[in-house]
Amino acid sequence: MSTIDLLRAHAPAAPEELHRRVSLLRPAPRRGPRLRPVLVLAAAAAIAVLAAVVHGFSTSAPTAQPQTKQTLTPENGAAASGSVHSFAPAKAPDTARAAVAVPAPAPGRLQHTDASIRVRVDDVGNATTRATRIATELGGYAQSVRYRTPQNRAAVSYIELRIPAQNVKRALAQLGGLGTLVSQQLSIEDLTSTLERQSAQIAQLRRRIAALQAALRDPSLPDAQRVLLQIKLAESKRALAQRLHGRKATLSAGATSRVSLVLENRKHAAAAPHHRGRVGRMLHSAVGFLAIEGTVLLFALIVASPFAIALTLLWLWRRRAVDRLLME
Amino acid sequence: MNAASTSLRLPRAGAQPSFDAVVAEQLDAVYRYLVYLTGDRSAAEDLAAETFEKAFRSWRRFDPRRSAPRTWLCSIARGVAVDWFRAETRRRRREDAYAREQPTELFGDGLPGPVEAALRALAPGEREVIALRVLLDLDGPSAARVLGISQTACSTRLSRALKRLEEMTNDVDD
Repeated sequence: MSTIDLLRAHAPAAPEELHRRVSLLRPAPRRGPRLRPVLVLAAAAAIAVLAAVVHGFSTSAPTAQPQTKQTLTPENGAAASGSVHSFAPAKAPDTARAAVAVPAPAPGRLQHTDASIRVRVDDVGNATTRATRIATELGGYAQSVRYRTPQNRAAVSYIELRIPAQNVKRALAQLGGLGTLVSQQLSIEDLTSTLERQSAQIAQLRRRIAALQAALRDPSLPDAQRVLLQIKLAESKRALAQRLHGRKATLSAGATSRVSLVLENRKHAAAAPHHRGRVGRMLHSAVGFLAIEGTVLLFALIVASPFAIALTLLWLWRRRAVDRLLME
Repeated sequence: MNAASTSLRLPRAGAQPSFDAVVAEQLDAVYRYLVYLTGDRSAAEDLAAETFEKAFRSWRRFDPRRSAPRTWLCSIARGVAVDWFRAETRRRRREDAYAREQPTELFGDGLPGPVEAALRALAPGEREVIALRVLLDLDGPSAARVLGISQTACSTRLSRALKRLEEMTNDVDD
C-alpha cells in the first residue's frame, strides 16, 4: 500500500463531541443569490443618470421674455440712496423683435443708467453707422467703436455710447430697433444721495474757509497761530477742490448714460449653440452634468488609489507572512 | 468515514445544499484538514467548531455557484487556523520552550508509526496541501483557491511535500 493510500485509509474522523457541537448550529434562512453589490451599483448609476436628466430638464426651460423688475425702480420707493438696481439679463426670442424695456426715470432724482444690449442685424457695418448717428442725434456721442470681420466668420461690432440721461430711453428704443434684440441688461444707479452728501461737504468746507479767512484778517493774531490757521486754510481749500471735482463727476455721470451695444451678424448668431431645441438642450445639459459626475468620480479614484495600493501591499505582506508561518 | 466515498457525495457546484447537509458531509473533511494543518487534534476540534460557527454566521453569503461547500469551508478553516498559528507563535515565544504532550496517533487512526512521524516532521503548509489534495480530494483549482496561490504553485508544493513524506518515511523505515 502506498503512502497516499495509507493516509486515505487512516484519515482521522471527527469525534462525536464535535459532531454534537456543530449540529446545534442552525443558520438563518437564505435570501437567495448575492445581488446586493449589483443592486448598489445599479442604484448609484440610476441616481447619477436621473440627477443628470433632472439637471438637464431644469436648465433647459424656455428662456424668459425680456423683462425689467419695475418693483425695484427708485420711483417706487424701493431704494432712495445711491443704490444700484440691476435688471435681470433677458434674452429675446430669435424670431420676434422685442423692444428694449426701460423703466421710467424718477423725477427729481439724479440717476446714472448703464445699459448693455446685443442686437442681431443683417448688415453690421451699416448698423454701426446708424447707431453712432442715433447717439449724435440724441445729443450723445460714440466713445469707442470696435468693428471686426474675422476670416470665415461673421462681422461683429462693439460700440460704447454716451447718451444724455433724458434721451436714454429713446436711444435704447432706437438702438433696439436696428435689428433683432438678442439680450439686454440695464442697471440704474441712484446718485442723489451721493450728490447731496458732496454738496453738504462743500458747504461745510466753504463755511470753514470763510471762518479761517476771517480769523486770519485779525491783526492781533500771534504769528505761530497765524501759520497754523494758514495751513488749515490751505488744507480746506484743497479738500474743497476735491469735493467740487467729485460733485462735477457725479453730475456728469447723472447727466449721461452709458450704453454698450453689440451688433452681430445674423450668420454669426446662427452658429450659436442656443438654437438647440428643448430636448437638445436637455440632452446637452445632462451630458455635461454626467461629465461633471465622471470628473468627480475620477477625482475620487485618484484620491483613493494610494490607499488602494497601500491596502494591496498590506494584503500581499500578510499573505507572505502566512506562507512563512505555515512553511516553517 | 471513507474519503473516497465522501468525495462521491459532494454536492455539485451551483446546487443549493442545506446547512445541515453541508455539516453532515463536510465536518470530517474539515476536521481532517485542520488536524493536518495544525498537527494538534485538540486544536483541530476547536478550530473545526469555530469554522462551522463562522460558516453558520455567513451562510447567507455563501454562493454555491462560485465554489463548492468543501472549498468554501476549507477557506474559512484556513483563516481560523492562521489566527490560531499566530496566537501559538506568540505563546511559544512567551513560554520559550514548547513541550507539549501529543497523542501517539495524531494524523490518523491506526496510521503506521513511520508515516505518522514523517507527517509530524513536515511543515504545516506541506501537510496542508497533502490534506487538501489527498485526503479531501479537492481538485487543483479548488486547492489553489483555498491556499491563495496559483495552481502551478499548488502542484509544486504538493509534489515536494509528498516527496519529502516518502523520503522521511523511508528514512524511518531504514
